[in-house]
Amino acid sequence: MRTVSAAETAPTTYPWAIHAEGLRVRAGRHLAIDGLDLAMGIGVHGLLGPNGAGKTTLMRSLATVLKPADGRLTLLGESVDGRADLRKVRRRLGYLPQQFGFYPRFTVREFVEYMAWLKEMPKTAVPGAAQRAIERVGLAAKAEARMKTLSGGMLRRAGIAQAIVNDPAVLLLDEPTVGLDPEQRLDFRGLLRDMGVDSCVLVSTHLVEDVVAACTDVVMVNEGRLVYQGTPDGLVAQGGEGDPGDSPAERGYSALLRHYRAGAGK
Amino acid sequence: MRWLTLYLRSRRVPIALATAGGCTALMWSLWSAFSDDRTVAIPMVVLTLLLMTAALTATLSGPDDALDKTAAFSWLPRRIAHLLAAFLIVTVVLLATRATGARFGPAWLVLRDAAGLLGLTALCAATMGTARAWFLPLGWTLVAIITPLPDRLAGRVLTWQAQAPDNTAAAMTAVLLAFGGLIAYAVAGPARSAPAEAAQH
Amino acid sequence: MTRILNIELRRSAALGTALILFVTGVLLLATDRAIFTTGWIQLAMTQRLYLAVLWPLALAAGAWQASREHRSKVAELFASTPRPQAHRVLPTLIAMAVAVLSGYLTMGIAGGLWIIGTAEYLPVAAFAVTAVGVLALIAAVWFGLAIGRLLPWRVTAPALGIAGMGLLLLIPGATRPHGWLALVFSPIYEMNMPGAYAAVPGRASIAQTLWLAALAVTALVLLASSGWRTRMAALLPVALGAALAITVMPHQNRFVNDAIDPVARELTCTEDAPRVCVSRIHSGLLTEVTAPAREGLAVLAKLPNAPTTVHEDTTIYFPDSYPPRRADTVLLDVETGDDAHLADRTDVWMKVVAGAFASPPDCEMSVDPADRIAAAHWLIGSEPAKASEDFEPEDSERAVQLWNDLRRLPADKAKARVVALRQAAVNCTADIGLFSKSTP
Repeated sequence: MRTVSAAETAPTTYPWAIHAEGLRVRAGRHLAIDGLDLAMGIGVHGLLGPNGAGKTTLMRSLATVLKPADGRLTLLGESVDGRADLRKVRRRLGYLPQQFGFYPRFTVREFVEYMAWLKEMPKTAVPGAAQRAIERVGLAAKAEARMKTLSGGMLRRAGIAQAIVNDPAVLLLDEPTVGLDPEQRLDFRGLLRDMGVDSCVLVSTHLVEDVVAACTDVVMVNEGRLVYQGTPDGLVAQGGEGDPGDSPAERGYSALLRHYRAGAGK
Repeated sequence: MRWLTLYLRSRRVPIALATAGGCTALMWSLWSAFSDDRTVAIPMVVLTLLLMTAALTATLSGPDDALDKTAAFSWLPRRIAHLLAAFLIVTVVLLATRATGARFGPAWLVLRDAAGLLGLTALCAATMGTARAWFLPLGWTLVAIITPLPDRLAGRVLTWQAQAPDNTAAAMTAVLLAFGGLIAYAVAGPARSAPAEAAQH
Repeated sequence: MTRILNIELRRSAALGTALILFVTGVLLLATDRAIFTTGWIQLAMTQRLYLAVLWPLALAAGAWQASREHRSKVAELFASTPRPQAHRVLPTLIAMAVAVLSGYLTMGIAGGLWIIGTAEYLPVAAFAVTAVGVLALIAAVWFGLAIGRLLPWRVTAPALGIAGMGLLLLIPGATRPHGWLALVFSPIYEMNMPGAYAAVPGRASIAQTLWLAALAVTALVLLASSGWRTRMAALLPVALGAALAITVMPHQNRFVNDAIDPVARELTCTEDAPRVCVSRIHSGLLTEVTAPAREGLAVLAKLPNAPTTVHEDTTIYFPDSYPPRRADTVLLDVETGDDAHLADRTDVWMKVVAGAFASPPDCEMSVDPADRIAAAHWLIGSEPAKASEDFEPEDSERAVQLWNDLRRLPADKAKARVVALRQAAVNCTADIGLFSKSTP
């Protein structure tokens, strides 16, 4: 429970939390995202796609780490593709990168508080927010442990904690379930559903089952372009008995890829 | 030959050699340009040796020591060869300057201090890890340069880096450090570093 | 921000840096205690001298701390946060500055505890000297942070430390014959072996402060900058600081070496007679000097017109300045020993007796030391030592011979010669030795 400011309860003036039109982003010299059109609002969106499809590059550009080469990108109604002041948007952003870097000597609590400070949260709100975030990811017992003593899964949960500490309006999680055991993955899906109630969450993952279970919306990209955007049921409906896969969702995924590749080959 | 190339690249030896060579060239040029004396002052010689040793410290461990330890062959002769090669490189480069316009220190001083400093670095790498292995050689040598204590035996042992080349106490200390470091590093290898890699998957 | 500052103080390299500076500093002070035991200004100057090691270590510590961000691979995560680079680095800056400040001050406290019994004279200059030392270390650690961020390699930290010491050692040679230039840019210059009445003029400290502050500002600009254009702007404070410092520093060589503190040289005396006076810098030693000095005066009482007071010899050379000549005063060299107490405690009374036969320091023809020793020991009644710390070996040997010769004479004749020697010393006519001209 926390106090909610007037700004947070005011109605939003923008239609989409994330809106990309003709987005082009370079990763090095390679054009990893090539003409992507995307519109995402409140809810949990799962990002699927083969390796090298540009998922991580998309996450990085949405996190304002990479500047787009071309096209328009709007986050929370603010344009982030020019030389605009990104501080306003970044305050309401939460990001967990695929390569999660951390200060090994900090304890979990100290690192989450440090990230809260970096996100310019008001000073008085930091300790409470950090405690809430740590409890939500289930690390309360390990809050005073140094980060270098954590196992892989706990480290990932600490990363999720720092991403959600400022109650972001846009939450970007790149491979958040790596190293989590099945029970922790179930808890994580519950966390995602909670967050998805009033923010736009984008989860990039290879685990199709997580997407189907927790996401309200599935986005599939391949070779830098949008392949599919729709509900998980729609994804399942794309597949049939003949497609490779051990579950309906995987069959739908393979079917979509096959269609896309066949279409691109024409 | 292939293994040697891969090993040198995994330890980033070419960069280290270039750095060490570059630093020596810099010291040599500075001295030649700014001083009329053909013999380089002893503190500068010791500092150059320290700089070369620091540049070669990073080669004492690779990106993943735990992986290296799983090798089928024994690392002991290879580590010994690594340290001996480092010693040869440092001493040959500095002694080669004796034919040039800025001569680096008495030969015995170069040999003694190179052996002692490399041994101390290897000892620190085996106990504290390669990232911190330059702490003690740097601090100790800086103190020794500023306060050489030639009067008493304890002083000569404690500031061995700055004593005259014919001083037996200093030579003994350097030999002790050299062999101690060689044995410790050859047997134990570099100490394990913190597993920040736990996050990188 | 205080929460974050606390975190940085505990988790960054700050604690280790403070500890290493403290331990290294105390070890350096311990190698030769006699340099700094005289008083507080000497302690402050010796601490500054040992910046020769501490300054490079601070550079290396800053570079080591800066490599943390690179080693931990946090760049991508931090790039998505709103707080600008300049704000983000502020807690680290403050933490490292606090670290070097504590390391340097605790080193000073350790030295101070050693001398606190006998060091009473505390000039303002001692605080100025220490403050410049602290500023030098802060500038070094911030500069190390800036360079470490620019060049995040493993070899940066040790190389920067070694370059720092190389620079300090080379500055005097590079600025020769302009010694004052070296004084501007090097915090260790002319801090070596400070004399008893050493002083550091305020102008020198101000000039050094200007330069070091400019260096610190340069480091801040480099740390807050992101592109090479802003980094080039860092040259501006450096140039400005150097220009200002050069303007403020007097353009005379040996500015600090030749500076004398007149207040430290003033005599403070005992209340009762026979008066014993020492200079203010040694005022803590007055009680230790008084008893043996009065013993010596008691021995000298056998002479006619015997001296009645003992003053410390406050002569200084280059530029020469001598205490006023007085016939009733014996001049005594007072020095502080390794243990912060009077040096040569057991020999003081004997030096007082021998001092009665010494010519004034500004006298051109002074009494032969062998004659002095022989005459003094004739008064005392014991044989001169064969070798002594205060005199040359050949003087001591000849003194033994002369003493034996004196003893062979009848008592009144020997006394006459001794009195004549005393007159010669007082009147500065000492081409007369004990046995050179026959006296009645």
